[in-house]
Amino acid sequence: MENSATLPTTLLVVLLFAGGVYALAVLEYWSVAGRLAWARPVRLALKLLAREEIRPRQRDAVFYETAPVLLLAAGTLAAAVLPWSASAPLLSLATGALFVNAAFAYVMVALVLGGWSSNGAYAMIGGWRFLGQLLAYSMPMVMALTATVMRAESMVPVRIVLSQRGLWNIVYQPVGFGLFYLAALALAFLPPFDLPVAAGELAGGAWADFTGARRLLLRLGRLSLVMSLAVTITVFYLGGWQGPGLPGVVWTLLKTLLVAASFFGVGRYVSRVRYDLMLEWSWKYATPAALFNILWVGILLLL
Amino acid sequence: MANDSRYLLLLGMLACTGAFAGLLYLVKSSLGQPVAEPGKDVPAESGRLAVPPAWVRYHVHYYGFALLFLCFDMEMAFMYPWAVVYKELGITALLDMGVFLLILFLGLVYTWNQGGLKRQ
Repeated sequence: MENSATLPTTLLVVLLFAGGVYALAVLEYWSVAGRLAWARPVRLALKLLAREEIRPRQRDAVFYETAPVLLLAAGTLAAAVLPWSASAPLLSLATGALFVNAAFAYVMVALVLGGWSSNGAYAMIGGWRFLGQLLAYSMPMVMALTATVMRAESMVPVRIVLSQRGLWNIVYQPVGFGLFYLAALALAFLPPFDLPVAAGELAGGAWADFTGARRLLLRLGRLSLVMSLAVTITVFYLGGWQGPGLPGVVWTLLKTLLVAASFFGVGRYVSRVRYDLMLEWSWKYATPAALFNILWVGILLLL
Repeated sequence: MANDSRYLLLLGMLACTGAFAGLLYLVKSSLGQPVAEPGKDVPAESGRLAVPPAWVRYHVHYYGFALLFLCFDMEMAFMYPWAVVYKELGITALLDMGVFLLILFLGLVYTWNQGGLKRQ
């Protein structure tokens, strides 16, 4: 197995990812306003750059500067190990599935740092909310991924895609897929799990005191995170690059955009979920369901 | 597979992220500096100017869940290597992990029974 990609492949993956993130920015606005405004992300970026950059007076400078960059890093790092086609993961890690989890864990760090850093109560509460959310979503998430690893007998994402030949994991382990999907929404703090940054409540929660370029980085980081999660679902549950007729990369892109669009669509029809209810439901129902999913897949594999 | 140069790619990605952020900040600062005015640099708190410090002891009500999470997270650390060799070992692996998970699960049920999964 190749260890890392060639230069043209790398450029292709970076381009696809960046293009995908742009498309997601358009989709995000579509989920709110109901129309596709293709130039709007550019306008928004320019607006944020032109906006006066105010920093809170008693901030924790290290945390304040780390949070936006770390969110972007956490959002993009996971994508390095996810394959777009049989020959196009940037990096083929033997511990790929685990690495994805590890990279996503830093999203929580970025949000808690952002909430803590400005010394304001609103931001602080937003950060703590996300920490509570992490305790709720992460168990179902990692347990669902474990079941895909069991089927592939490997943590290498390329192998996990190949293990889905003939039957995608969404059909093979629907319970795991459902859990992972919901956990992904919570991890990307999208509606209905968007109370940590809570537009219209808490003045923006963990992002309350970030303006200008830092705000732009945070928004970009979150979009990258959604993109990475959509690629993760494509790779682990939707058979990755497999599909009839078209080249593998195109299939991956199509599935990814479809998953991302569904992410943005879901929140329009559900009311917001408080983190304490999430914690309760997660540990009472989702975690046992994830354990059941592992048992179920385990029995299927032995038959 | 033992080839550490691969991790340079991840380091490179981190460096690129940092460089991108730095570039953005440079562009931003070249477009002008904020005007220093009283009351502008206060953290968001509904327009109050004398904001009390937020860095105080804060009751994290979900500490019980955090403890549960630690137990289960440790279990996940064992679970990934187990998942890789699962098919190879077959029924033995299922029973081994089954017993381990059952003990953990009983702990979860006990917590639930004692009212530990309610809103604090």
